[in-house]
Amino acid sequence: MSFLRIQNLYKTFDRVVAVDRINLEIKEREFFTLLGSSGCGKTTTLRMVGGLEKPDGGEIHLGDQCLVSAEKNLFIKPEKRNMGMVFQSYALWPHMTVFENVAYPLKLRGARGSEIRTKVAEVLGLVGLAGLEDRQAPALSGGQQQRVALARALVFSPKVLLLDEPLSNLDAQLREEMRRELKSLQQRVNVTVIFVTHDQIEALSLSDRIAIMKFGVLEQVGTSEEVYYKPATPFVRDFLGKTFLLPGKITAVGESQICVDVEGVGTSSLNVERNNVIASNHGFPAVGRAAMVAIRPEKISLSDRASEGVGNVVEGTLQAIQFLGDRYEYAVTLGSESRVIVSPEAQQLKPGGKVFLHLKPGGMTLWPSES
Amino acid sequence: MAKIETLSPVPITRSWLPRLNGGTALMVALIGVMGFIVIYPLVLILINSFNTATIAEEPIYGLKAWREAFSEYGIWRSLWNSVRIGIVLQVIALPLGVFVSWLLARTNILCANVFEFGFWISFFLPNLATTFGWMLMLDPSTGLINSWLRQIPLLSGLNFDIYSFSGIIWVHLVSTGLSTKVMLMTPAFRRMDASMEEASRMSGASAFTTLWRITVPAMTPVIVVVFLLSVIRIFSSFEIELLLGVPWSFYVYSTKIVDLARQEPPLVNQAAALGSIILLFLAAFIPLQRKLISRRQFTTVTGQFKPKLIDLGVWRYPATVFVGLVIVILDVVPLLSVLGGSFMTRFGFFNLPKTWTLEYWKMALNDPRILQGLHNTLIVAVSAGLVGALLFSLIGYVLVRTKLPGRAVLDSICWLPSAIPGVLSGLGLLWMFLGTPVFRPFYGTLALLVIAQMLGGITLSTQILKANFLQLGKELEESSRMSGAGFWRTYLRIVFPLMAQTMVMVSVIKFMFAAQHNSAIILLATSETRTLSLLALDQVAAGYREVASITIILVTLLTLGLAIVARSFGLKVGIRAE
Repeated sequence: MSFLRIQNLYKTFDRVVAVDRINLEIKEREFFTLLGSSGCGKTTTLRMVGGLEKPDGGEIHLGDQCLVSAEKNLFIKPEKRNMGMVFQSYALWPHMTVFENVAYPLKLRGARGSEIRTKVAEVLGLVGLAGLEDRQAPALSGGQQQRVALARALVFSPKVLLLDEPLSNLDAQLREEMRRELKSLQQRVNVTVIFVTHDQIEALSLSDRIAIMKFGVLEQVGTSEEVYYKPATPFVRDFLGKTFLLPGKITAVGESQICVDVEGVGTSSLNVERNNVIASNHGFPAVGRAAMVAIRPEKISLSDRASEGVGNVVEGTLQAIQFLGDRYEYAVTLGSESRVIVSPEAQQLKPGGKVFLHLKPGGMTLWPSES
Repeated sequence: MAKIETLSPVPITRSWLPRLNGGTALMVALIGVMGFIVIYPLVLILINSFNTATIAEEPIYGLKAWREAFSEYGIWRSLWNSVRIGIVLQVIALPLGVFVSWLLARTNILCANVFEFGFWISFFLPNLATTFGWMLMLDPSTGLINSWLRQIPLLSGLNFDIYSFSGIIWVHLVSTGLSTKVMLMTPAFRRMDASMEEASRMSGASAFTTLWRITVPAMTPVIVVVFLLSVIRIFSSFEIELLLGVPWSFYVYSTKIVDLARQEPPLVNQAAALGSIILLFLAAFIPLQRKLISRRQFTTVTGQFKPKLIDLGVWRYPATVFVGLVIVILDVVPLLSVLGGSFMTRFGFFNLPKTWTLEYWKMALNDPRILQGLHNTLIVAVSAGLVGALLFSLIGYVLVRTKLPGRAVLDSICWLPSAIPGVLSGLGLLWMFLGTPVFRPFYGTLALLVIAQMLGGITLSTQILKANFLQLGKELEESSRMSGAGFWRTYLRIVFPLMAQTMVMVSVIKFMFAAQHNSAIILLATSETRTLSLLALDQVAAGYREVASITIILVTLLTLGLAIVARSFGLKVGIRAE
């Protein structure tokens, strides 16, 4: 059953469409991520859920309550929605101490002194800031400010926690640490989280499900593995991680496999699994049609010769090898494309020479040719 | 390539830094000049408060002036009146200013930009114009509003007297009391991170709870700066009290000093004693002011999201009407009434056979006193503008870019004048020029007025120039030095052209200041060196209202008119809190 329901949500800024009639259903206690590059409408969507922006069309429901409906002219103010929010800038109030910042939502809800002290201490312990109650907010480090903002958003046990790029102002090491903490925190407090980010690593590692947005439109909604290995659109495929694209022609369409001849990379043909065919419509796939085989670099292994009797091998040129301590990076040119393939161990390969790439059958997806 | 080989190296004789003796000489000169025109007159005031002889006589030292000054009830009274006006004004203007700034910067009120421009206009509208405009409206017997009130049946008993304490407060409020605060605080409110307010809304607070519990407290540093800047200037206020207080023998600090100095025989020593008290008071405040202005604020900008304005809902239209009404009171009423005063046969009498006339304009434009006043004003204001911009840019540059010893002293001297009431520096200069035989011939010349008016905006000017020098990439100058240019050539050929726009702005500000302020020159001017605004004061006092309107319109054109022209050329003429 869906907990938070977004229907036909629509929003423009100065006639520019920011969010274009999107529909989403978010489950209770789900960690749901809106992912996309800047200007894709993800933050606007989040702010409409929180009540900080009014939609021009559509509705948002929480449980059986309608939060906003442009058509029915219904709008519940942000302060009545009982949602916690962490802002990108943390938005800590500089004139208050840590304790006062976190206690503020409780005071507004009429909590009593002893209750406030207990709850603030509890939530500060939860985010690892016990004992910092009396510090002034601006005197804290970035990571600590982030935790205070999180504590403030969680202290009144909100139904939904909204996170607007909360990790983007932290340095790389701290970001990784906070990412892990955020995940374990969400599991402990059991809150529904809507998380906005442009960082694919954050999205993939944290989310139960991800919605990828582009120009105000939802491209795909699914689990991390689904969107990564079974991207629904070329945008999702290229936005998440790296891919090799091998243009070719379909030579056979079988019951479980489709055979594709790839141009300019040796003579071998590739066998793509039937259920890895994207956009099977308009008679695609069919014999003779131009197609693209896409594969993630990590689904490729390298060797200096083509093993006899093993399929799905293509030939490329090794441009350069770089040793990075814990791994080796091989820059490989395949057809017209150049990509880096990572391997933990050294291979018996020489730069400038031929290299054979073994493509894992499950890692290949088949796309209609983009022309 | 061969050509390069034949080039002989150009010998560079100039040293990399200004030579120690050259730089020191410049510093000594700057400190000398500034010390002479800023500090020396103030020292003279302190010394002469213990002198019982008048100016230009052999000094006889004694405590007579102090004893007499403070045995007179009126002196204490005038000090208390200044404080009283300051307190009442701030109690009203500060909350109102915060509220209006918040409406303009943080809510979806209509026409916010137009209104902000309205406050800008009000700030540059000379005090003289606002005061006189409202005098025409609220004179107890002839004021337009009062005569209208008399015709309304139920309100006929109502009569507003502008010549009263509340009248003075009202005019302070509508002249610059409110507009200064709005101009200083609106940009600060706008820069505030909007997500601080949004975080409060998400925590469960309403828009007004958020204003009260989050926005205002978070803006406290700015509000305190604006408040203290106003407090420091309590004793500087002059024109309004002169026009509205003196007619009913209500004196404040500045008008009392002028009164003492202009009595026959002049009680300059008592004036000096009165001046000295405030000098001691300000000595405590000036370091504080400096600390306040140079401190950075903690409001942050994110720039990630266009600041989201607060939706006022149904209150949007009442709020718009409210601010619009404020603008009408601040700008439209005084401007229209001064204009009306100059074109009406008798101001406020719409039922005369000939309501409108050009007679007064014809008279005024042939009046030698007005023409001389215009001439004097232009000379004083242009000189103050040009000399000020050149001198202060040199000071700003030396303070920011060199490591010469004595910079701290020079900087401190530049902070002084903003807190010193104009009347006091005028009194000091008067003493300096009349009491020192060498300078005595300068008394009665416009040069004296130029010096007095130049002092007024030193702090603001050097602050603006210093900020701009800091922004200017140091590399631009360093590459000039590396190319072989010395300190002066770099300053004239590189720095000066790059700073031209800022210099023009400083000149414009100084010009406007000199064209409209009277307090510093009222004791220094003679009937030959009277400026337009001084002439207007005399005309108002003598009751020539129609001619005074015209003089005031001319002053307004020279100040507000110039500000509008400068603004249309893209100069950011205004004031800042940081």
